[in-house]
Amino acid sequence: MNNRRDFLKTGLALGATASLLDLGGLFAADLTTTVPSGAAASPAPEAPPTGPRPVLVAVKDGDRIAMLDKALASLGGIGAFVKPGQTVLIKPNIGWDASPERGANTHPSLVGRLVELCLGAGAKSVSIFDNTCDQWQLTYANSGIEKAARDAGARIVNGKDESLYRETAIPKGLKLKHARVHDLVLDSDVFINVPVLKHHGGAQMSAAMKNLMGCVWDRGIYHNTDLQQTIADFLTLRKPDLNIIDAYHPMVRNGPRGKSVEDCVEMRALLASTDPVLIDAAAAKMLGYTADKVTHVKIGAEMKLGSMDLATADVRRFKLT
Amino acid sequence: MPRHWLKLSRAALAIAVLALATAAFVDFRGSVPTRLGHALASVQFVPAALALATGASATLAAAAILVATLAIGRIYCSVLCPLGLLQDAVARLAGWLRRKPLLLRFARPATWVRQLFLWSTVAGIAAGWSGLTLALLDPYSIFGRIGSMLFRPLVTVVNNWLVGPANAAGIDALYRVPPQWAAVGALALPAALALLIAILAASRGRLYCNSICPVGTLLGLLSARSAWRLEIDRALCRKCGDCLRVCKAQCIDLRTATIDHSRCVACYNCIGACDELGIHHRFKWRPEGGHRKPETGCQQPAAPATPATVVKNLASQTTPPPDASRRAFITGTAAALTAAAGASVAAAVGLADKSPPTLPVASGPVCPPGSGGVARFLDRCTACQLCVSACPTHVLQPAFLHYGWSGVMKPRLDFNLSFCNFECHRCAEVCPDGAILPMDLAEKKRTRLGLAHIDYEKCVVKANGTDCAACSEHCPTQAVSTEPYGNNLRLPRMHDELCIGCGACEYACPVRPTRAITVKADSVHSKAALKIEAPAAAPTPAPGEEFPF
Repeated sequence: MNNRRDFLKTGLALGATASLLDLGGLFAADLTTTVPSGAAASPAPEAPPTGPRPVLVAVKDGDRIAMLDKALASLGGIGAFVKPGQTVLIKPNIGWDASPERGANTHPSLVGRLVELCLGAGAKSVSIFDNTCDQWQLTYANSGIEKAARDAGARIVNGKDESLYRETAIPKGLKLKHARVHDLVLDSDVFINVPVLKHHGGAQMSAAMKNLMGCVWDRGIYHNTDLQQTIADFLTLRKPDLNIIDAYHPMVRNGPRGKSVEDCVEMRALLASTDPVLIDAAAAKMLGYTADKVTHVKIGAEMKLGSMDLATADVRRFKLT
Repeated sequence: MPRHWLKLSRAALAIAVLALATAAFVDFRGSVPTRLGHALASVQFVPAALALATGASATLAAAAILVATLAIGRIYCSVLCPLGLLQDAVARLAGWLRRKPLLLRFARPATWVRQLFLWSTVAGIAAGWSGLTLALLDPYSIFGRIGSMLFRPLVTVVNNWLVGPANAAGIDALYRVPPQWAAVGALALPAALALLIAILAASRGRLYCNSICPVGTLLGLLSARSAWRLEIDRALCRKCGDCLRVCKAQCIDLRTATIDHSRCVACYNCIGACDELGIHHRFKWRPEGGHRKPETGCQQPAAPATPATVVKNLASQTTPPPDASRRAFITGTAAALTAAAGASVAAAVGLADKSPPTLPVASGPVCPPGSGGVARFLDRCTACQLCVSACPTHVLQPAFLHYGWSGVMKPRLDFNLSFCNFECHRCAEVCPDGAILPMDLAEKKRTRLGLAHIDYEKCVVKANGTDCAACSEHCPTQAVSTEPYGNNLRLPRMHDELCIGCGACEYACPVRPTRAITVKADSVHSKAALKIEAPAAAPTPAPGEEFPF
């Protein structure tokens, strides 16, 4: 217990130092890792998605595609994130052998639309993968994501191919010091994180931060060495350039797998932000939690990986009819 | 070489069957429909005979094979049996490599070896060891093990070599798959048998089928007195030996111009090879009384040839009829056939079910859903590995000594490697002999194979004071849920009545070397409770009109 507290203290100190050293901006600061990232080039000069205040876009009461289009428009359009010739990774949650209405995986329509938009913006390639929990061919097929993404022109990549993961140091991680990370996460110019919002029996909530666990090969290490801290630690390696949370039909109990459609409630919402901590803080509230109830979100804020202060954020609310 | 339509159509069918059977067992991407593997397996003699008792699948296939053999000989061996066809393929490959045709002369039938294996099989079945006996000797199951345990991982390795170049060339359809090698102990027997059969096939054609294989011997008994038999027309025969050169069963005796029909596998090579068109089918069926006459009549005065041809008559040097030994073989095996049929039906109908399980089941292996329990499963399963090949999660693995000697190579659920997919029952969809019975998916989802148990001393949440709950995360029935614990942590908790023993929790548990949650097998499967929950309530504060932030 003491250890964890010490780690947190060290983390706070380190985080504070890092942000003092680099006042260029909260988000650019942590992207200056070894990872070749398109993030540096991505904010469009005319419509910066992140100003001095972190931006959260929250859309309600439309279908998924309409809400996605609205959210992206508010963030400067897909062109603010994807430049012609860039390689794009879209990382949905494809963890479970469950049909779309079960809410266990990101909805295929959202993934398909994103692929379409990225390719429309001139992306050289758009790839999709997840290190799934259930057998990957089944989850890819039965989630509907494989078909939707392939039809839209994406490359479907086997997330269970161990040779595609490479040992990577995570120097800023407090407990997760290294991990085998998927090539696509390390090498893609643009990294778009598209989770589905779910209750989670272990992590309390699965949204943007938790979804990134599917980027590493050895998931057991997370569970064995402090699930909540390792979830936050991964963000020190590479933060997604854009996070979009599918909260149309979130799973509010028995997560993250769920037993039936009865575990989901209809909210018809979608969140988007470049800040994975901020978007998760909002997602936690949508599930009825205070943000600090979800430990990994709290740790993420404490490590200055993002902000969980919704009051000071630039929250743009839209209600479609 | 002139070809004959019978030979060509036989070969075409055989190639199709061998290709499809190989595909079903090698299917490392899970793309072969379960119906195909099931259909091919269900028409095999031993699975169909077993299914006669369990009512599992194509129960008429065994009878159809017997009738067909009685009508026109051992076409099963040359059209349907994948092990026979594999031997033909090996022999052909060896021929190409050798570049010189292999001349197999007529050989005496290995009658006592054939009797030994057939009677051992009958005795094994009668003694209630049908599960072990058939697993060891059923030719279809032997092929299945070679296909699933040897070919499948090898093909996977080759596939993985090709992925890099293919992807570089822009072909994304290929992807890497971890090769599934069985444990060494389980792999040893199929590997040794594959080697033996390959050597025999390359050097002696169908010798395995005509010495060891009990199905070959059983069918040989019938084919020896089949209605239509291949005959050499003595008026046309020049004794050129062309037929000998193509015969894989060493069953043509040119000196007497006779064919040993108990060993002829009905490949029809000789028909096409004979330039004189001197080999064809002749109707020879006679009721018991008139049996001797046409035989001798057809063979003319067979005496002139005898001095040199006594070889064939091993048991009967003093008795003139040339097929006396065959007749002895026939009467012997007729009894065997009756006994085998009786014993297999009796054993399968339920004698074995009533006997108490003979295994130490307390910490035994978990057997597949639909098998009912260990004792029943071991009694029915012939270890063909079709379910192992079809299992999408690869939780089904051939056992070594996990079930004891009688269960070697039979599938068990290995939760170190994987877990049973909740939404899947492919093993039952493919199983040809009723060892794994199909059921409604809803029923399968309630079938308890074992019970999970949490060791809290090892559990990450208690031991480390950090969140984990990988077990609960994977649990499809929420038999492991989580409850608040300590400082905003969540501790796994078992609800035994909901557990189906699928092993998802054990597989997901990160604790090593012994996991903190493990499944103990039930020796007899049962039904778990079903918890139906009311629709979830919206979270508070309710989302309502506005966002809760």
